[in-house]
Amino acid sequence: MTRSPSQLPPPTPPSTDLIQGTLDMLILKSLSLEPMHGFGIARRIEERSRGVFKVNPGSLLTAFQRLERSGLVTSDWRQTPNARRAKFYALTRAGRKRLEAETEDWSRRVAAVARLLEGEA
Amino acid sequence: METLRRFWRGLVALTRRRADDAELSEEIQHYLDEATEAHLADGLDPAEARRAARLELGSAAAVRDEVKSSGWEHQLETLFGDLRYAVRVLRATPTFTLVAILIVALGIGAVTTTFSAMNAIVLRHLPGAADPERLVQVDRRHPSNDEGIQSSYESYDFLRRETSSLTGLAAWSKATFVLARAGEGVAVYGNLASGNYFSVLGVRPFLGSLFTSEDDRTPLGHPVLVVSHAFWTNRLGADSSVVGSSVVVNGAPYTLIGVAAPGFHGVFTPLRVDAWIPLAMQQQLRPGRDLEHQVWLWTFGRLAPETTREAARAELEIQLARYIAEGSEPASRAAYSAIRLIPMNGLPADAHAMAIGFIGLLLGASALVLLIASVNLASMLSARALARRREMAVRAALGAGRGRLVRQLLSEVLLLFLIGSVGGALLAVEATALLERIPIPGDVPLVLEISPDARVFGFAVLLSVVTGLVFGLAPALRASKVDLAARLRDGAQGAGARRSLGSQALIVSQLALSLVLLVAAGLFLRAFDRGRKTDPGFDATGVATAMFNTESWGYDRARGQAFYEELRRRIEGLPGVTAVSFTNSTPLAFATSGGQIQLEGDRADQSERNTGHPIQLTLVGPDYFTAIAMPLASGRPILPTDVEGAPRVAVVNETFASRFWPDGSALGRTFRYLGDEVTIVGVARDAKYGSLGEVTPAFAFFAIAQRWIPNQVMLVRSTGSFEALRPLISDETLAIDPLLPRPTVITLAEANAVVVLPQRIAAIVTGVLGAVGLLLATAGLYGVIAYSVGRRTREIGVRVALGAARGDLLRLVLQEGMRLALVGTLIGVALALAAGRLLGSLLLSVSPSDLLTFAVTVSLLVLTTLLASYLPARRAARADPMSALRLD
Repeated sequence: MTRSPSQLPPPTPPSTDLIQGTLDMLILKSLSLEPMHGFGIARRIEERSRGVFKVNPGSLLTAFQRLERSGLVTSDWRQTPNARRAKFYALTRAGRKRLEAETEDWSRRVAAVARLLEGEA
Repeated sequence: METLRRFWRGLVALTRRRADDAELSEEIQHYLDEATEAHLADGLDPAEARRAARLELGSAAAVRDEVKSSGWEHQLETLFGDLRYAVRVLRATPTFTLVAILIVALGIGAVTTTFSAMNAIVLRHLPGAADPERLVQVDRRHPSNDEGIQSSYESYDFLRRETSSLTGLAAWSKATFVLARAGEGVAVYGNLASGNYFSVLGVRPFLGSLFTSEDDRTPLGHPVLVVSHAFWTNRLGADSSVVGSSVVVNGAPYTLIGVAAPGFHGVFTPLRVDAWIPLAMQQQLRPGRDLEHQVWLWTFGRLAPETTREAARAELEIQLARYIAEGSEPASRAAYSAIRLIPMNGLPADAHAMAIGFIGLLLGASALVLLIASVNLASMLSARALARRREMAVRAALGAGRGRLVRQLLSEVLLLFLIGSVGGALLAVEATALLERIPIPGDVPLVLEISPDARVFGFAVLLSVVTGLVFGLAPALRASKVDLAARLRDGAQGAGARRSLGSQALIVSQLALSLVLLVAAGLFLRAFDRGRKTDPGFDATGVATAMFNTESWGYDRARGQAFYEELRRRIEGLPGVTAVSFTNSTPLAFATSGGQIQLEGDRADQSERNTGHPIQLTLVGPDYFTAIAMPLASGRPILPTDVEGAPRVAVVNETFASRFWPDGSALGRTFRYLGDEVTIVGVARDAKYGSLGEVTPAFAFFAIAQRWIPNQVMLVRSTGSFEALRPLISDETLAIDPLLPRPTVITLAEANAVVVLPQRIAAIVTGVLGAVGLLLATAGLYGVIAYSVGRRTREIGVRVALGAARGDLLRLVLQEGMRLALVGTLIGVALALAAGRLLGSLLLSVSPSDLLTFAVTVSLLVLTTLLASYLPARRAARADPMSALRLD
């Protein structure tokens, strides 16, 4: 109710808000390659989406807490390549399963939406 | 699974908040560092890179809050925070807090007390039984008029053997008897119970064992006895060696095999049961009676697993139809072909409905008190909200949203209500203990156990939360409506006019509601008074009564008749005694019985179908009309010559005579009752027979000597003092047989008091509630007037300066109070007139719009409100104009 952080206009014009509910999936997807820390994941999502998605750090960290509490990811503190201490997140077996399920679900939906759009056109 | 994990992690997070905070901060810091570095790599200079990274992240504190507030435990933390703050706020104003808690405690206490009674009497499942919700009372009824009959042993046994929807069907009946130990007899309120009685109920023994179907197989085979825990404690000195010992029941040796679990004292809980004996011993306790075919048993059963009540009812009705088709019982019972299954909650079905009605009425009255208390508190909260406007504005300025403020204010109210509910619960414990001690007139084994249990306490807390939310929400919403700029300037006059209109409405409703309660109390008091002053048609003064049941002592008919004859002879010889008579039911003590008669002109088939004219009746001995001074209009009373073998006679009342012989020729006429021809030998003046509220029934007095009945009430009229007579009656009884229990001798007036007991209880309860309501409403009125005088200090100062006399000022303020009182009275009178109709027959024909009651209660209300507004008025009148004008 109160402390919603003041939203700043994004620095680059073409960024889009993440579709509700996809953040978790994107995090899981990023982690499926290797364990990563928060900034790394944000960076990765931004890069891979070619800057279309910009991740809000608050949402990101909240998502980590949620995922960790659900047992989909685990975390530990490690040294980064540039010798900083960072909290690294890794996928658990349950997380991997969830990712598979969500990816499949997502593809089905995308296909369905695509068909709908084509049909309407 | 995941929910569970989230819950667990939340708990863990709660315990290690500080470590988590540090970790989160570090993570955010790391994020910032990495972002800065990335910007550096893009070619920004260090300061710009840091700035860009910060912009992206937003405030670190905000991010931390966002993350933290996403877990469920955060809500809990906020709640604790709110509560801590609420405690601080409430402690800062101890007087307000104390008064508020007291008010809540009164309101919650009133409702909790009556709810506790309701819970104990009509809601609670049978105490002491296992899985009581699967137990059902099995009633046999008439399908059209719902009239019920009890079961004969034969019909019970048939259903018990045949039914498949009950895992057990048990039967029992009342049986008082005398238990003798060490040469002294004690009257025992016992039950004859089927062997499976305890196993169907699932009652466990406290000591020894309980009897089983084995003990109930051969008639007179197992003279065993189980006693209640209370009887064992109170009468047998809690001596565990009595288990297994031999006792004498009505002269025969029995073995006391066990003590039932504490808390269990029979199936109809308000009636105490001291001991249980197997049905097979019936011949010994009820000698010479055909109990195979008479209807005398209550039955109850346990629903088979997976069987609904409706399915069981249908199945039992089919079995009953099969039994009726066998034709082994009198044809008149065939009409009772319906089965009703009633949850076992400690009362017979009809009494249950009556009790719900009566207690529901009291619950409504106490709900009014809670309403008054809550309204009162709401107006206190509104006044307080006004005083806290600046605090709210400051908090809002510091960034608290409206929702946050409402939540904070609500938690304060809820805290008040929760503490108040504890007070209310304590009040209920005390009040129910007091109510349990209301003496019940007459000689009845009644136990009133209405103390609160866990469910009642849960109810009190729930009730306080609900009322807290309902009555706290509006003031909280209002208080949190912050117009920052205006509030910080502290414009004291702000919403004054509207607020005072609101609080005036609150006062008016309190006054109106308390008037309703006071009127109810007044009406009950009038009804009680009328009840006591009603001429019952006989004279109870100077009459002593005592009840006997020769059957309960194991006497057969001849011995019983000899006992009563001997008793009469002995009592008549006592000094001062002018008349001694016997009847089977104490006059005017809810104890009459009904029957049906056939007249000469009736068609023959009418009597066959047992559809005669309904009358009420009692059996009386010679001298009955002298003993209770009930005048005869014509004819003769029952005489000593009206014995068995002589022509059957009856005295009827005037209503009886004029209903069946409107031409006034009743005397000497005959009618048929239970197959006998009965001649009317006398007509008695109409009187009250069962209760004061009754419509005078057609009533007949039959000669008791012509219809033997073992339980009789002796009526003794004497000119001497009752206190002197009482021990003599009891001594004379024991002189006949020293093993008899001492009879309880009371005055007929005491016995009659039972008929105004509901009015008495209702008058006491509504009176107390009305007083509490009036007190609260008056205090509220005082508060509003005092507040308004405070606000109008300047106006009053100006008036005084302009030469207003003190009398004028007094009138000015008094007028304000009186206006509220007047509106409250008008609404209250209208409500009371409407509510009075609900009281119905409880009022014993006192009109629900009884002028005296309304006059007295309205003047009481007006006087107290006058007082409540006079005090602030006097202060206003004494105001010093200078200091009043100098204020701010």
